[in-house]
Amino acid sequence: CSQFQKALKSEDVKLKYDLAEKLYNEGDYKKANRLLEQIVPQYAGKPQGERVVYFHANAYYQTKEYYLAAYQFDRFSKSYPKSDKAEEAAFLGAKSYYMLSPKYSLDQRETNTAVDKLQLFINTYPDSEYLDEANELVRELRTKLEKKDFEIARQYNRISDYKAAIKSFDNFLSNYPGTPFREDAMYYKMVASYNLAVNSIYSKMQERLSHTRESYNTLKRYFPDTQYSDEAEKMMTVVNKELEQFSK
Amino acid sequence: QEIKFDKGKKYILGGIEVTGVKSYNTQTVITYSGLRVGQEITVPGEQITNVIKKLWKLELFSDVTFYIDRVEDDKIFLELHIQEVPTLSSVKIEGLKKKKGEAVLKEADIKKGKRVTESFITNTRNFLVNKYKKQGFLHARASITPIPDTSAVNAVKMLVSINKGDKVKVKDITFDGNEALKDKTLRKAMKNTKRKVFGRFWKKSKFIPEDYKEDLTSLIDKYKEKGYRDARIISDTVIDNKTNKISINIDLEEGDKYYFGKIDFVGNTVYSDRQLASVLGIEPGDTYNGVLLRKRIQDNTKPDGEDITNLYQNNGYLFSSINPVEISAKNDTIDFEIRIIEGKLAYFNDVRVSGNDKTNDHVIYREMRTRPGQKYSKENVIRTIRELGGLGYFDQEAVVPDIKNANPDAGTVDIEYGLTEKGSSQIELQGGYGGGGFIGTLGLSFSNFAIKDLFNKKAYKPVPMGDGQTLALRLQASRFYQTYSFSFSEPWLGGKKPTQFSASLSHSRQFYYDWRTGRPDKSQRFYITSLTFGLAKRLEVPDDYFTLSHALSFQYYDLENYNIGLFGFGSSGYAKNIAYTIALSRDNRFPKLIYPRTGSRFTISARVTPPYSLFDGVDYGNLENEEEFWEKDDDGNVVYDDDNQPVADVQKIEQEKIKWLEFYKIKFDGEWYNRLVGDLVLKTSANFGYLGAYNQDRGVVPFERFFLGGDGMANYTLDSRETIQLRGYPNQSLSPNIGSTIYNKFSMELRYPLTLKPSASIYGLVFAEGGAAFDSFKNYNPFQLKRSAGFGLRIFMPAFGLLGIDFGHGFDSIDGTGQKNGWETHFIIGQQF
Repeated sequence: CSQFQKALKSEDVKLKYDLAEKLYNEGDYKKANRLLEQIVPQYAGKPQGERVVYFHANAYYQTKEYYLAAYQFDRFSKSYPKSDKAEEAAFLGAKSYYMLSPKYSLDQRETNTAVDKLQLFINTYPDSEYLDEANELVRELRTKLEKKDFEIARQYNRISDYKAAIKSFDNFLSNYPGTPFREDAMYYKMVASYNLAVNSIYSKMQERLSHTRESYNTLKRYFPDTQYSDEAEKMMTVVNKELEQFSK
Repeated sequence: QEIKFDKGKKYILGGIEVTGVKSYNTQTVITYSGLRVGQEITVPGEQITNVIKKLWKLELFSDVTFYIDRVEDDKIFLELHIQEVPTLSSVKIEGLKKKKGEAVLKEADIKKGKRVTESFITNTRNFLVNKYKKQGFLHARASITPIPDTSAVNAVKMLVSINKGDKVKVKDITFDGNEALKDKTLRKAMKNTKRKVFGRFWKKSKFIPEDYKEDLTSLIDKYKEKGYRDARIISDTVIDNKTNKISINIDLEEGDKYYFGKIDFVGNTVYSDRQLASVLGIEPGDTYNGVLLRKRIQDNTKPDGEDITNLYQNNGYLFSSINPVEISAKNDTIDFEIRIIEGKLAYFNDVRVSGNDKTNDHVIYREMRTRPGQKYSKENVIRTIRELGGLGYFDQEAVVPDIKNANPDAGTVDIEYGLTEKGSSQIELQGGYGGGGFIGTLGLSFSNFAIKDLFNKKAYKPVPMGDGQTLALRLQASRFYQTYSFSFSEPWLGGKKPTQFSASLSHSRQFYYDWRTGRPDKSQRFYITSLTFGLAKRLEVPDDYFTLSHALSFQYYDLENYNIGLFGFGSSGYAKNIAYTIALSRDNRFPKLIYPRTGSRFTISARVTPPYSLFDGVDYGNLENEEEFWEKDDDGNVVYDDDNQPVADVQKIEQEKIKWLEFYKIKFDGEWYNRLVGDLVLKTSANFGYLGAYNQDRGVVPFERFFLGGDGMANYTLDSRETIQLRGYPNQSLSPNIGSTIYNKFSMELRYPLTLKPSASIYGLVFAEGGAAFDSFKNYNPFQLKRSAGFGLRIFMPAFGLLGIDFGHGFDSIDGTGQKNGWETHFIIGQQF
């Protein structure tokens, strides 16, 4: 440890470089990074600069400092676009943002950045060994973004703002045609439409009931064996009964 | 040396020689350029241009030139000539004191290592001169001289010389050509440029060119307001007397006075001419006032003002535009046509928030007044901003609505509210001396808690947050008393409706303070345990400012040998209290916190216990005649008095009466806010409370009583007593020791803010109030008030809460001796306001 302290205080760049590399290879990324921090500026523009920046970025990644890792990988990709490590750096840089992506109910700034970066990686390196993983990560993040919008729409149902719910589910279904929440969204849109209709004033009831019927038909068309069929049928019984009064 | 080369020919780069470097390594410069020996290069070509651009962008070089050194076969050898910008090695400042000088250097960002370019010198000089001109030093001058520094490579020293000159004051402002408006009116219109007049201290006389220009515009605006729409300034002369005084001479042409003629509305289908005219509020024949007309159409100073634009904007017409057009000006009368393009109704499509890094979506979306599919309304946008700001989780000033993707053809618009999370947890750890010993307090309060993550280790960053729940823990202990309390609240119980649920548990213990030894006597004690559940529901009818709340509470009082005359009964015993409270309140104060200007708040509440005496079969009036309540000696024999009557055990009787507390309490609190002039606000309030008993034989309970007088700080609330503020009298002096059962109070307070910045709000107040407390309804006389008046100051800082000091003068006597109470000083800390 005293060797580390000595190197830390030393003016000798080479000494720091050698020890940093040793620590890095031994897996002591935290200590390695404290030295790398100091020498990265000195090596800028020098042949060893490439190695140093890569070590620096990856050491941040290994110590779960993802914001810093993402930044350093970005720098690496910009400074050394022709490096052998460029592909790996691009992937790890994007994955750092994936790691930063918070749960669906918070702001998704990092998620969006991660999707963009991963997509850029997939387009740039279509033959990469990381391609499968990158695709998987993108899928996971997209699902998260979909879940966010789906839950926001569903909350309008919960707080009985059925109009807002219908509009939100409509937007959701047109924004994410391939979403795994498609069936749920269609069903909950029907629930919103149903609640709006049965609690409606008389003059608007007929129109709203027929909207419910349309949502039901859409659900059945795309998901004939929907898991919600019992509940949907129950609602339709009420809708049909209510609609009778208008057909007389 | 001239070398021929073919235009735009491809070469292999054979080598680069860098010339002109002083402090840089040539290899570093080549690396920056991005060129590599051996690469293909077209000369001349875009590659070279890009390299030059790249190097320029570094702002390290004042010259970048490429030369062709030589060409050998297909190889080209280039020379890169650069000239480095010198760096600043040291600065000397003249004309200012050392400390001031350092501050100025920092402000102007002059520091060691800066690149000294021509533009840096010019910009810095302009910055310095403007800085002093803005402060009223009209003759300020600055010069910057770079001197080559021979002690270092490529470095310069800089000599900054500042001559502020004297502060220039305005000796006189004279006007020529004004007949309709007096000199005095015109001078007043010039808000920032003032004559030097002895005795005017709140606005200093300075001459700042920028402000002066602005003032000339307001001068003309003043004329426009009075109907002189052609008024103009022919010339304005600033006469510099070469001393520190200047004179200003303004030559005006007033033109004629104009009047409004006919005002027609064109293009309106949604609102009738009559409706629009009433919003416009301008009649034909009124003095022409362009400023007013503009304001009534769109008042940019008030986002929620009542103008025609807002009439449309608040009802879905986002795409509307309103333009007044002068159609004729005959003699002195101007006819207007107000041309309205209503546009398509706009509906919100996508509604989002961003920036919520801690708070979960559902906590935010449920509070929003703008929802997908809703008609666009500016009013609702403004209300949403207020409500989100009011949650307390976000920076109130930084709720920014971003209206996006407005599509006039489809009639849709998206909105995104940008939020900035702020810390909403508080940790309080303090120790101090008071009440004869050390008092330690540990308080934890989380106002945006997520209880569902209580056992989720990952959510601790550092505590589970984001569900909008409040959790507070507080421990306070000294040798003489301890308080433990825990409370939790969820503003939307079940997530469907804004029904607030709250629960709190507390326990306190106090011990008798032995004055002789200075130690607590643990054999003499008073324990209180209390548990409360509450539900509060925002109502929709009659309007959504109403809240109905219910609370169920249980309290357990346990006294042991604790005889300090606090309660009417003996020194040992216990009491249990189950009470139900129902309250209806309406609060439309605006703004809600700190400094309300309009609106009111009132609460009417009833707190009741079950009427045990109706069915428990005990004749409370006759207890002294029952053997069970007779005093007995140690052997269990009844004790008789001189008349051979059994002696009643008073303590036992009292205990029987409070075994289960039985009472009802009715309260009314109301306060009204009225804006009088500007920010001057009148707060009027009235309060009333009554504590009664169902069974007169049982009497009014010794707990739950009112204590009138003083600062009203409730520092002793666990036994449900209520301290009522009445300034100008000592604390609780207007009630007997055991408290009052009925009181009323009326108060008027005039408030004026000194500053209302988010970092600190300060306002001053004067008040007059009166109140009275009685021990029974029989003695109640609402007009027999103890009166007082006084003044005070309140400071609100988010970090400290509310602090205040009031000086009150009591006009009446406390005990009926006829001597008025006189001045009292009250300190107010963290009180509800």
